[in-house]
Order: sequence, then C-alpha cells, then structure tokens
Amino acid sequence: MLHEILWQQNVRLAEACLHHPFMRGLADGTLDPEAFRSYVAQDAFFLNTFARAYALAAARSQDMETLISLCELLNGVLRELQLHAGYAKELKIELARARPYRAVEAYTDFLLATAWHREPGETIAAMTPCMRLYGYLGTELAKTAGAGNPYQQWITTYSGSEFQALVTRLESLLDSMAEDTPAVGDAYAYAMRCELNFFSAMLEHTA
Amino acid sequence: MSRFDDSPLVLRAGRLWQEATTAAFLDAIGDGTLPPEAFSRWLVQDYHFADALTSFQGIAAGKTPRQFRKPLIAGLGALDAEMDWFEAQTRVRGLKLNAPVHEICRRYCDFLIQAAYSEPYPVLLAVLFGVEASYLAAWSGLPPTGPYAEFIDRWSNPRFAEYVESLRVLAEGNLHESSQRYFDGVLAHERDFWSMTWEG
Repeated sequence: MLHEILWQQNVRLAEACLHHPFMRGLADGTLDPEAFRSYVAQDAFFLNTFARAYALAAARSQDMETLISLCELLNGVLRELQLHAGYAKELKIELARARPYRAVEAYTDFLLATAWHREPGETIAAMTPCMRLYGYLGTELAKTAGAGNPYQQWITTYSGSEFQALVTRLESLLDSMAEDTPAVGDAYAYAMRCELNFFSAMLEHTA
Repeated sequence: MSRFDDSPLVLRAGRLWQEATTAAFLDAIGDGTLPPEAFSRWLVQDYHFADALTSFQGIAAGKTPRQFRKPLIAGLGALDAEMDWFEAQTRVRGLKLNAPVHEICRRYCDFLIQAAYSEPYPVLLAVLFGVEASYLAAWSGLPPTGPYAEFIDRWSNPRFAEYVESLRVLAEGNLHESSQRYFDGVLAHERDFWSMTWEG
C-alpha cells in the first residue's frame, strides 16, 4: 500500500520528531510551559490552514465518497481546534493575535500552494504526514507517560481511537487518490521535514 | 538615493529593502570573484523561481481588471523568453535543470503560488512590484562590466526599469490592507534567496 511505502521511506524523519527535545519534553512533562504556549498558538494557525486544505481538496473531489471522507476529516480538524481553544483559554493565549513563525508559514504556504495548484493526490500526500506522525507520536508517548504529566491531555488525544481512525481514513484516501510518483513522494517527504522544522521552531523562539 | 526611495511600500518596509537588494553574492558578481559553483546554484534555482513566477503572474493577470492588465501580460511574454534564456544558459554550462529545488527557493515559490490563489489582485500587484523592483535595485547597484556583464544588464537596463515603473504605478494605485505585509514577505524571501545562492 502506498501509505505504508511512503511512511517507511520517511520513518527516520518521524523518529527524529519522536526524539526531538520538544517531544521528549512533552513525553516526560519537563517541556518549558512557554514552548507549549508557543506551540498551541502556532499549531492553531497551522490547523486553520490544514482545515482549508481539506476544504480545497473536497471542492476538487471527483466523487461523493471522497467528498464525504474529506468533510469528515475536516470536521476532525475543527474538533482539534476546539481542543486548542481550550488550551488557549486555560493558558491565556490570544490565538487571533499570534503571527506565524517563518517555519510554520513555510509549511502552510506549501499546503495551500499544493491544494490550489497541484494534483489532488499530491494534496493528500502533503497532508498525510501530519496525521500519521501525530498518531505515531501519541501512541509512542502513551507507552511511557507517567502520572501527573501536565501534557497528558495532548498524549491522550493523539493516541486515542478517534484520532487513529482519522489517520486510517486519510491513509486510505491516499491509497485511492495518489500514485507512487516522484511528485507524490516529494510532497510527503517535504511535509515530514516541515513537521520536524515546526518542532524546532517552537524551541528556537522560546530559547 | 535609489529610484524607489519615495515609494511608500519601500519606505514602510524599512531595513528589509536594504537586506533584499544587497548581498555578498551580488558584491562578488560585481567584482567578478563569484565562485563558479555559486553562480551555477543561482542559475538553476532562479530558473525554478522563474517557473513559479510565471504561474503566479498568469493567475494574477487573470484576476486583475482589464484596465490594469497590459503590463502583466507583456511581462508574462518577457518571462517566458527568460525561461528560454535560462535553458540556453544552463545547456552551455552543462547544468541539469531537474536538480532538486532548494528549500529556500521552494518556500519562495510556495509563497507566490498560495498568494496568487488566496489574495485579491491589489495584493498580487504589490507582490509583483516587490519581486521586480528589488531585482532591479539589486542588479542596478553593480557596474555593467566583467564576466557577468550580460546578467547585470539583463536586470538593470532601461526597458526593465520602465516595466518595473509601470508595476509600481499599479501597485501604489491599488493598495490593499494586506499589500505591505505581502510586499515585506517578498523582501524577506529575496534576502533569504541571495543568502542561499551564496552559502548553499
């Protein structure tokens, strides 16, 4: 299956994300709260674009089944944004005032440029790494997370069955909509690099 | 004193304008000391950029009302001829145009493409003015002599300056609340692009 081929081709980048100091801090609860505040604001900005990319892919879909799948995935992002709104309220972050870091804007520009301008299969390939990666990170972190971790809700969300079902749904869309072409492989790999850059940016801006 | 010192978009961009129009790469072009590998890197990456700019400008021309459209369409023709010229230049030097797009170049291209679709035409006019005005200013600062004289002349000659002036009139006559943000965005990408061509 294409989704598994692409994941295996990029698994080292996924492991680099898992071992990234930002993720290690989430795993053991030692992450600087300021870095998490940055993350919440930047990820909300990112998810806003991610939802739009789903909407563009839905608008360009060729059949009802794909349209329904993309709308359900879009609803999943909206629920994720509600989670961020909850964090923002708790941490007193004004999401509307947050300006994206350059690494985050590079990622959202890439998603929108792909969704508007490239083949729909490339859009799905550009969007899958985020979902599969978060499913992977949530699952791995859930194996070791101890009691009292202040970031437990994040780990629970991304290791939970509801999120894992969305990952599976997107990956099956990738299998049906995309071919194993250089452009599809490139979109997937670049998105994975953007994920790694995203975590680095959170620490760089709070250092 | 540059020709754009009284442009409100340039003035409000502050130090970004200087950062986008001066670079170690350009200094080395000017005094003829540029390492060949840096020139090759620039040539291939700038070809990828010109390809994205062609897409941007095609969409921008389509979104711009008829009365403002002519400079954009004329510029598209020139851009296509420039693509031919890039291809000839890279052939002579034995360079491969299908070399990977550098991440810095890719960021600039994605910025242009997403803007082309997402933003209204006044913002696109500010983007196009930013791209071409910064290029004109960057190359105009160099003496039109030495091994790279053909390149310097290409982006500092009076016809190019006249084209950029027509874009300035359009951009400044159609300002939008997002014009400055996108103009500044262009300059930041230009700055990063020059660094990439120098440092790799």
